[in-house]
Parts: sequence; C-alpha cells; structure tokens
Amino acid sequence: MGVVFEEDASGAWNEMFSSPGQPRPIYERLLADINAYQPQELRLRSEQLARTFIDRGVTFAHSGEERPFPLDLVPRILGALEWDRLARGIAQRVRALEAFLADVYGEGRIFDEALMPRRVITSSPHYCRAAFGITPPNGVRIAVAGIDLIRDEHGNFCVLEDNVRIPSGVSYVIENRRAMTQAFSALFSDHRVHPVDSYPSRLFAALLAAAPAKALEPVIVVLSPGVFNAAYFEHVLLARMMGVELVEGRDLVCRSNHVYMRTTNGERAVHVIYRRVDDDWLDPLQFRPDTVIGVAGLVNAARAGNVVISNGIGNGVADDKLIYTYVPEFIRFYLGEKPLLDNVETHRLDDDEVRAEVLGQLARYVIKPVDGSGGKGIVIGPRATTTELKALHKAISAAPRNFIAQRPVALSTHPTFVGEGIAPRHIDLRPFAVNDGEDVWVLPGGLTRVALGEGELIVNSSRGGGSKDTWVLNDESIPFRGAVPPASARSRRYAGPPRQNDEYIFEQGEQ
Amino acid sequence: MSERLGLAIRHHTGFTYDGLAKASYNEARMTPRSLGTQQVQSSRITVRPSVPLSSHVDYFGTLVTAFDIQETHPQLEVEATSQVESWAATLETPLDWRALRSERLSDRFSEFLLPTHRTALVGAITDEIATWQKLSDVHECVETASNFIRGEVSYVPGATTVSATAQEAWDRRKGVCQDITHVTIGLLRAMGIPARYVSGYLYPATEPEVGDVVEGQSHAWVEYFSGTWTGIDPTNGVRETQRHIIVGHGRDYDDVAPLKGIYQGPESTQLGVLVEIRRTH
Amino acid sequence: MSERGMLSRLAESLFWIGRYIERADDTARIVDSYVHRMVEDPFNDESATCRSLFSILGIEVENQRLRTGETLQTIVYDIENPNSIAGALNGAYENARRSRDYISSEMWVALNTTRNELPKREKRSRDFGPATYLSYVRERTSLLAGLTDATLSHDDGWRFLVLGRNLERIDMTARLLRGRVVSEENAPDWMAFLRASGAMEAFMRNTREINDANGVAAFLMLDRLFPRSVLYSLNLADECLVEIQPVGQRISSGDAARQALARARGTLEFIDPRQLIDQLPELLEMLEATCFRVTDAVTDRYFRHEDAVVWNIEEGL
Repeated sequence: MGVVFEEDASGAWNEMFSSPGQPRPIYERLLADINAYQPQELRLRSEQLARTFIDRGVTFAHSGEERPFPLDLVPRILGALEWDRLARGIAQRVRALEAFLADVYGEGRIFDEALMPRRVITSSPHYCRAAFGITPPNGVRIAVAGIDLIRDEHGNFCVLEDNVRIPSGVSYVIENRRAMTQAFSALFSDHRVHPVDSYPSRLFAALLAAAPAKALEPVIVVLSPGVFNAAYFEHVLLARMMGVELVEGRDLVCRSNHVYMRTTNGERAVHVIYRRVDDDWLDPLQFRPDTVIGVAGLVNAARAGNVVISNGIGNGVADDKLIYTYVPEFIRFYLGEKPLLDNVETHRLDDDEVRAEVLGQLARYVIKPVDGSGGKGIVIGPRATTTELKALHKAISAAPRNFIAQRPVALSTHPTFVGEGIAPRHIDLRPFAVNDGEDVWVLPGGLTRVALGEGELIVNSSRGGGSKDTWVLNDESIPFRGAVPPASARSRRYAGPPRQNDEYIFEQGEQ
Repeated sequence: MSERLGLAIRHHTGFTYDGLAKASYNEARMTPRSLGTQQVQSSRITVRPSVPLSSHVDYFGTLVTAFDIQETHPQLEVEATSQVESWAATLETPLDWRALRSERLSDRFSEFLLPTHRTALVGAITDEIATWQKLSDVHECVETASNFIRGEVSYVPGATTVSATAQEAWDRRKGVCQDITHVTIGLLRAMGIPARYVSGYLYPATEPEVGDVVEGQSHAWVEYFSGTWTGIDPTNGVRETQRHIIVGHGRDYDDVAPLKGIYQGPESTQLGVLVEIRRTH
Repeated sequence: MSERGMLSRLAESLFWIGRYIERADDTARIVDSYVHRMVEDPFNDESATCRSLFSILGIEVENQRLRTGETLQTIVYDIENPNSIAGALNGAYENARRSRDYISSEMWVALNTTRNELPKREKRSRDFGPATYLSYVRERTSLLAGLTDATLSHDDGWRFLVLGRNLERIDMTARLLRGRVVSEENAPDWMAFLRASGAMEAFMRNTREINDANGVAAFLMLDRLFPRSVLYSLNLADECLVEIQPVGQRISSGDAARQALARARGTLEFIDPRQLIDQLPELLEMLEATCFRVTDAVTDRYFRHEDAVVWNIEEGL
C-alpha cells in the first residue's frame, strides 16, 4: 500500500483531484508514480532533497539565519493548453505595464483621456520624479516581471499582484528542477516536462538588448546588496549562469556620468546593471543618502544614456496595489486588447462610497496595504480579531489611499507531502517573464509557493512557506512560445547548467 | 519703471571643508529658463575645481547642472551667470472657485494641492481660512492670505535653517523667504488653491538705473493657479514683478534647492552666497 | 600576464580564502604537534606549553595560569577568533560567500558542508579529544586545496588565492620555528615538529639526522623542492605576482610587494645553511615582516575598493 492522501475539505479548487479519489487526467500518471513509493521512501527522499539544499547553500537569509526554502516533492502540473493561455495573458500584462510606465514617465496620455486620475500616480510613494526623462534605449523598463497568480474556487487563474521592481524567486525554479530531476529521475522519464534552464540565457539576451547603442561590447553586471541580502543566493546564481560579474555598490564608481567597476587592473566601464537593489538605496544623490549599498551618481549616468539600469528606476509605481486595479484598463487603452487574465475582485478605498461599504463589513474582505510585499500587513477579514479589525478601520479611515480591499479567495490546494502522508495545502504561482524589447518570453511554469501550515493562506517564504517544482507538460499539438532559447552573443565565460543556486524572499526590497 | 528689464545675474555659491573632500556629487539648479515672463539670452555655469558638467531638465521643468568631483578638494565653488530680459505678467481674470475646485483641475494639480512635510500646517489658522474663502475673487483671497502671513511671520535672516518646515516657521512666527513661502503654500493648498514653490532671484532696486550693480539675493516666492499660474511674493508683499527672475518650480524647496550634493570627507561650511545683478537695459 | 583584471573585491576575497584555508590547515598541524604533550604528558608544564602555543599563533594572553581545555577552546573551536581553526574556516567561508559566483561549486559545497559539520565535530571531540577534529580539518583543507587547483581556472583569481595560501604558509612556518626558538623546552621535539609541517618523510629521505636542529631548520627554510619550505613558498608567491601584473607595462611600476619578496628571497638564497640556526631569530622576524608588507602592498595595489562609505549632505543657497 502506497502513501495515504488526506481528503481535501477546504472547499478550494484541488489541483490534482476533481473529486475525492478522482485525479484530473493530467495528474493520472504522476499519481500512479507516487503511489508506487512507500511512505518511508518518500520521507527519505524528502530529507535527501532538504540536505542537498543545505549542502549547496540554497538558502535565504531570514532573521540573520540561512534557511533552506523547503521543496515539496509532489510537483505541480500545468497542461500545455492552459499554460499557453496563461503565458499569453502574462505577456500581455507585461506589455501593458511597459506602456503604462513609458506613459507616466513621459506624456501622461492616460490622464488626458481621464482613464485614471493623475492623483493616483502623484500620491504613489513609488512614483519617482527623478526617473522622469530617463529613456531606456530599447524602451524596456521591465526586463523581468514576476506576476503572482492564484486559482480561485472555480478553477480560474487570476492575477494577485504584479512585481516589476526586483522580483525574486527564479533561482528556486531552476534549483528545484535540478534537485527533482536528481531525486526523482523516473518521474521525468514518464512526463514530457518543459525545461527551465534557459532562463539565464534569456535574461542575458534581454540585458544585452537593453544596452546603450554606443556600447560596442556591452559589459553587464548584476548589482547585489551583498551577502546579507535575503536573495543573495539568487544574485550569485544569475551572475554565474549568465557569466557576468556580481558586483556590490562599493565595486562601482560613477564619474562624469559613466559607470565603472574597480578591478585589479584599474577601472572598467559598465553598460548594463541588472540591479537587485531597491530604488531607495540605489543612488545616495537622489534617494536615501544613508545607503551603503548604492552608487552615487547612478541615476544621472542612466539619464545621460551611458548605462542602463534594469529593471527601471521608478517601476514601483506599477506595483502599487491601487494601480493594480487599473491594469485591465491599461490593457484596453494601451494595447487595444481584451485582458486575457482577470484581476482578483478588488475595491478602491479612495472612493468614498466604496470605502463606506467596505468599512461597514470589514470582516468580509481581505485588506492589503498598497505597497506591501511578501504578505506584509495583509489582514484576512474573516480570520481577523475584533481588535485587529478596529485598528484596521482606523488606519483605512486615516489613509484610504494606502489600502485596497479584495474578495477573499480560497487559493487552490495541492497535495503536499507533510509529515507522514500527503495532505492538501494552499498554493499560488509566480511565473517569470523576460522582456527583450522584441518579445515577452515567459519561463515555462514558474514558482509554485505552498503554505505548509494546514489552512494557511500566506505562502511567502518568510512566513514558513515552501515551494514545488512546477511542470508545464509538452504537447506537440500546441506550438510553444519561445521554447527555443535565442543564441545570445556571449562574450564571457559560459557557466553551463545551474551548478550553484540561490534563494528567494521578500525582505529588504526584494519582492 | 520700464516694461522690460535687462538683467545680468551672477550667483556665486559653494562650500568649504574642514580639510579635504572627495567623491563629491552635485546638482545645481541655478539657471533661469525662458518662460512667459522672461527671456534668457545666455547663461553659463562654472565649477571649481574644474570638471565636466552635464545638464538636463527635471520633472518640474527646471534646468539642472550635474557634476562630480573625484579628486580631493578643499573647497567647491559654483558660479552661475545669466543674461535675462524680464517683464511683468498681466493679472488675468481668475477662475471662480467652482471651476478651480472642479475634479478635473484638482486632479491635474494634485501635486500642488497635497501637503509635503515642508508645507504641512497642522490645525493652524482655520478661522481665517474660512473668512478668506468667502472672498469671491481668488486673487483677492490669495493676496489677503499673503498679507496676513507677512503680518504674522517676520522676515528674520538666520532665524531658521535651510531645512526648516512651514510649521516650525509658523510656530516661531519668523523665518526667511523660503519659510514664508512654505507657510503661504501650505495655506493656499489648504484652501484648495494649487500652489507651487518658485526659486529665483530678486533685483531689489525699485528704481533701477542701467549699469548699476546691485547686490541681489536668491529668493523664493509662490505661484498659484487661478486659470493661469500667477506669482505672488509674500515676503515682500507684492505680486511677481519684472524684478523677479524665475529659476525653477517645485512642490517645495526640496525640489529646487539651488545646490545640493553629497560627498565624502569632513564637515562642510556654506561659502558666503553672492548674488550680483546689473541692469543692462 | 593579465589583460582585463578582475573585480578588486573578488580578488581580495580569493586572497583571503587562500590564507584562511592554509591557516586552518597549519594551525591544525601545529596544535596536533602540541596536543600529545598537552593531553598525555604527565610531566608537562601545562601552563607554559599553552603559553608557547599561544605565542606561536600570535595570540596575546594575560599572565595567568593557562589550562589545556581553555587553550584548545580559543585556538581550535572559537569561531569568533579569526586565528582559531574554526574561525579561519569561517573566514574562508565568509569570503567564499562573497565570491560564490567565481569559485567552483565543488569548492563552495566542500567549504559550506565543512562549516556546517564543524559544530558536530566539536561536540564529538569534547568526548574523544581533539585529535579527530584536527584530522577532520586537515582532511577537509587538503580537499579544498586540491579542489582549488583542480576545479578553478588558473587565472588571476586562482593566483590571488595561491598567493594568499603561500604568504600564510610562510608566516605559519616562521611562527612554528619561532616557537622552538623562543621556548625550546615547552615546544614539541623536532620529530613532532617535522610531522606538524608535513615534512617528516621528505626530510627523512634527505637527511637522517633527526636531532640536527640546524638541518631541520635549513630544510624547512631553504629546501627548493619541498612545497612547504619558506623559500619554495616565496618563489611561488612571486610567480603569482608576476603573472598578475597588468600587461603593457614595459617598465615595472615599482611593485612594493615584489620588492619585499625579492629582499626575503635574496637573504635566504645567500645564507650559509650551516649557520642558519644562529641567525634564525632575525630571519624569522624578517619573514613575518615580509608577509605583512606584501599583504599591505597587494591590498594597496589590487584590492582598492570603498568599504562602507558615509555620505555627507550639502545644501546651499
């Protein structure tokens, strides 16, 4: 007798079973494979997975401690058809957000058309006036996007939030796959799973395409806040796999609007900075002067067109959760298309009537701060205490612009190996998109995060979440968008398949 | 007084260090641009130690000169010279309150209606505001408010530091032009009148002769929106004249500080600021 | 010769990885040579032996009675002390974290697992004595040294690492010898001493006179083929510096690091091996100063980067 699957009583959409004991067709083979294992064997392999991560230092820093981000051994599967629709929806969203950023840091057409009040932008703490007039050479401000999706009770995917500042987590996608193929190679021979290891070369190509035209041999670097950053592992992995230098602010110097890195052989010009440092800490001349991880003069160097900062400065305005509510409008307005992915039903609290209604029954909503990330500050109305709701009521009344209200959605569940058996746990999905200016490519699958506590809805790693390897199955009848990586013009040593790894997390500016 | 003034302006400023500074990064907002009430014929910025300069126009339309100095230096000097022809604006008929407070305008100028930490005034002067708002003419309302502030807050050089807020100046009832401007902006915004900070120069002589070199000053005043942007100088109790030369606009001082920078090294002291203005025609 | 150079901060990390791994290895060897006396010899003056060990490792101690347990704690297990074995391995680990995009994953995993393993080994050695801990460390440092040479490209980064390794080795050999010079009666005998340097077999193959102090010292200082001898390490360090030097400089820019190395080599090259033991105190002092000077010069020339910078704000009217 194989593993015991605990029944799903959550009322949410179960990814694997359409009804108790009845697997969805796409999961049939996986289920059979898992059932072939004895529970103790699964536990052994689960421990082995954890051990590999610790040995390889695939960890994230949390409260001063290096922790692994637990990988659950039951993979999540997405069918080719469904994925194709999701990928197109994500790409569409990224294109719309690009157009929006170009517009709010440029002409402001959307205000002229009165599709969105200007106030929404001017009151956003992430609207960065210093970014005004910085024009990316190939128009790309969002080289990398992480679009968080959830599947609701009816099985529909909808967008929970957009992350176009410094989305993190892609290293786990790569490492999880690496670990899974080693620990469960048999599963992979039974399934045709889209590989994920072309991400670094896609990113490299996008950064290369973003370089200033005058840079004949563009030098690309990854800018990290340093080893104490929660996502340091990811910075290492990406630099390594792209074959570029991993630098810290102190390695760079700006002079006369050119950026150089300090080498043993003098200074060397840098043309593209894939930065993993938040705007606030990026340039002490423009932002916080107390930064020790930034580079003075960087913003003006970018303005002068000598260096490209990627993702763009000021992108945070597009992550603002009040602005999120307008994204479907952006898709219609800028692209003239119908949105392929819906938002979660969201209410804007800066509208007096809406606010009155929401405040009247606060316990029925999920309330989120507009600029929180990583689950920070989220109050789930139905689970909140009276005291929490009272405090929230006060906070919203004092600053309605700072919150949005959403319908509580029961995140879909997925069988997950916990303790002795397999039980349903809530999950979400963060696909990663790379924009090279010609095309928005979406990494097949993305990061499935799982809330390991029973009934827990917040999936972030800082809150004890884990992740799953996410499979997009290959179906030859569906032409796959961008499955073949472009031949990138590599000028540096090639690091080969992911050998080292990374981490994930949402503190210190990482999203 | 003639309609058009030709003015040659020389603005000299900088810092001296208790030792040597290095890795200095700066932005100067010291160059007037051609606008509805002035025409700039020429302008130049000189920095010592001599380094390459770059310039751009910022979000608020101000011309910015950026530069960095890597070598150690005991002192930083910046000198801006410009030749400007200036004239006074005519006072246009203002919009009525309803139009001014329309959703369209209040959204358009939301940035100049929201308080900043520099302009915010807590619970001050509510009674007066209620009275002023009954004045049907926006110009008159602004003028009354401006005169009131001039009466309350005395102009006392050195009374506040460059980082003072409107609230601090109001509580102490004294300040310099920057503070009086912040207080006025705070009040106008509280009344729903879009108001912005103007940084520039004032040619002080009321009856200027061609050729006279006069010691002028860096100055700040207010522009409010009443259908067009209209200038008023609450420190001097006058409307904007041809003797006011505009350098830049912003939500408050921080958006238009004449010289702002960071550096590594010992403490700095501001050099004596010198503004010389000569009437050329 | 190198054309492009490498990131200064990275070069510095690699240099220190080399130094710290070597330090952990050498310290383990030295402690090993003392431990027998400290733990087992009933006639041993415990406090004096401990003092001798501290002085070799350049750790200042107060003038009090020293106990073996506390001494081992400080020199072997104290992770906060960069001169202890655990501290040195931690130093190597911290620098490896900062150069993780450069070093090989094999190296990284080896260092990471070593560091993760140390607390367990320490616990065990509390029951069974330090020997297993020390042999674990030596095994791991050998593995790391092997991986360094076998899995890194022998480019500038590797050269900085090897430079660091050799400077540390010179420094440690000098210290070891000095322990003998300073306090002969509390230091291990020459046999233990050669063993600590890993030189026992090599030495025996050459000379069979184990009690010839001059012979042992000459072997450790001047042997041209033994890779732990001072002269050998000096030569290797210089080779690294030559390779690292930027190309296109036809006239040497007065490399202070190479100058210091050249002076030390010159002195050793022309010394009469038979007189060595008499001059040993001055020579050892000179070698320690050389290591110090070379590190300084290399840091100055190649590792230029800003550390935590404090920005002052200036605002003017």
